[in-house]
Amino acid sequence: MTDIPDRRTVAERVAAATPDGLARKVSGFSDRTIAWLFIGPTIALLLAINIFPLIWAVYLSFTNYAANKLNATVAWVGVRNYSRVLSDPDIWERMQATAHFVVWTIVLEVLLGFGLALLINRQFRGHSFWTTVVLLPMMLSPAVVGTFWKLLFQTQIGPFNYVVSFFTGIPPSSFDMVGSVALAPWSIVIVDAWMWTPYVMLICLAGLRSVPDYIYEAAEVDRASSWRTFWSITLPMVLPFLMLAVLFRAIENFKMFDMVALLTSGGPGSTTELASITLKREAFEKWRTGYSSAFAIILFVTIFGAANIYVKALNAVKNR
Amino acid sequence: MAEVRIDLVSKAFGTIQAVEDLSLTVADGEFVVLLGPTGAGKTTTLRLVAGLEKPDHGRISIGGRDVTGLPPAERDVAFVFQQYSLYPHLSVYENLAFPLRSPTRRVPEDQIKATVTRIATMLRIAHKLENRATRLSGGEMQRVAIGRALVRRPSIYLMDEPLSSLDAKLRGELRLELKRIQVELGVTILYVTHDQIEAMTMASRVGVMEEGRLVQVGTPREIYENPATVYVATRLGQPAINLVPPSVLPQVATPPGTATIGARTEHLDIRRADGGTGTGIVARIEHLGDQNHLHLDVAGHHLVTLTESDIALDVGDRVNLDVRGALFFGADGRRIAA
Repeated sequence: MTDIPDRRTVAERVAAATPDGLARKVSGFSDRTIAWLFIGPTIALLLAINIFPLIWAVYLSFTNYAANKLNATVAWVGVRNYSRVLSDPDIWERMQATAHFVVWTIVLEVLLGFGLALLINRQFRGHSFWTTVVLLPMMLSPAVVGTFWKLLFQTQIGPFNYVVSFFTGIPPSSFDMVGSVALAPWSIVIVDAWMWTPYVMLICLAGLRSVPDYIYEAAEVDRASSWRTFWSITLPMVLPFLMLAVLFRAIENFKMFDMVALLTSGGPGSTTELASITLKREAFEKWRTGYSSAFAIILFVTIFGAANIYVKALNAVKNR
Repeated sequence: MAEVRIDLVSKAFGTIQAVEDLSLTVADGEFVVLLGPTGAGKTTTLRLVAGLEKPDHGRISIGGRDVTGLPPAERDVAFVFQQYSLYPHLSVYENLAFPLRSPTRRVPEDQIKATVTRIATMLRIAHKLENRATRLSGGEMQRVAIGRALVRRPSIYLMDEPLSSLDAKLRGELRLELKRIQVELGVTILYVTHDQIEAMTMASRVGVMEEGRLVQVGTPREIYENPATVYVATRLGQPAINLVPPSVLPQVATPPGTATIGARTEHLDIRRADGGTGTGIVARIEHLGDQNHLHLDVAGHHLVTLTESDIALDVGDRVNLDVRGALFFGADGRRIAA
């Protein structure tokens, strides 16, 4: 027997396979109705899991609600939660710690990521193998990374201290990356840079690959120095990609929780307590639900506003 | 300006022989056009001269200096790419000034300004100098690309189909402009194209390329009138040369060994045949305006020729053909003297 190719379109085959009863029910629907039927469940879930809690949190932020006192009467307190958050010196300290973390991780990741991308972009033997190797940290779970680096930073047996000691001569047990107030903020920066530099590299690599060869060839014939080629061709053409990477990393790190929670749990003291960790403590350890809702809304508006301004700048750069 | 010599140069990409034992000398002040279809090795030849590719063997010298192993920057050449290849975030002015700002040149700023203004005026883009390079029309972008080559006075200008991405009207304009500039400045140009009109109108000499080899070099007139092979004959002439076996045109006295007769429009004289005689039938008439393309059916072969627009012939008419001065080719495609 020979196979007779089915020349019907997918739509025709689906129509033929639909049971008669169902077919009769849906035959009167317009395409628009059917489209709504398909995306309806997704929208319903999105509303239930994302949008509703957001609106509910906005409401809670104006009340004294506490999630562990279900029977207590909920009182409307106006903007009191907001003024408390904004006048709390502890909160400002946490915001400073967060800013330190966000700024330094971005600086390190952009410099290292762009540098790595420039190296990997050269065609050399086994370059796809090395690309994969470099990407490995990014593929790990943040929880695994946090736990693992805790071990690497261990003063007695941690390899990190030994490596530092090997290069600097400082005795390995004389400093504690996670335990010391001065070093802990840098320990989370180091680990985040280790984990996410590959991501920035990947985006930069996409940018570098998008520069057509003939522009470099034109520059070569025009006798441009490699320095000038970098500053007036490579960097401006990769800049939109670089800015996008910065945006992604900034948003991600502004709400960083998991890796830091497992590495330092905010300590020592509260030196590495980032905004998200404070938020979690206020909400689910101190059960100040109204207060933490207000804090969450403030964080959300901050990220959202900053990202919007940034995207405008990004578009301006792209449209040059 | 200087003489450029290419000596038995070969270049292969993997198993593909892009250029094979190619030799060509471009004299000082000459405009040489490499003509051939896509994949004939024209662009590779140009890139070899520029130093963007390294030859497998052979030698390239510019102005008597062997440059075979030198990088592009040390060869003193300017290159116009097929794509506009402008520096996208720089202004037109900065694009034009770019080659002059090279650290190896150290041109003073007022001289850069003078040169850029002069070239921009010549290419009629002086009013666009402050625009971003990417905010220009295609024609303007290509002018900037050509201008970026012209701000320098290299030994040779290498141009890789610089007009191919433009529309017909602009192409015609820039063709004239480029030729005018070349004559005015007396510069040496090696130019690659697959457009026979560009080759015919601009070239001092044309080199026809076929599968990596240079088949024939000569003035456009020589190439047109005395093609060495069937292949070269088909590269020039509009409509294309008619190629038929001798049996189709028995009235033509052919030299021994002729396998193909090549008849261009000017070799054919068409007369209406009276009383149902005549060897050809008019199959189609295309009106071009000032002239007609006349499609003939002669013993099962299709011939095309140009005629006056007021010709008194209709489809289906029988005609007689007189052939004068046709070209003859042997079975290997080589020309046989008449």
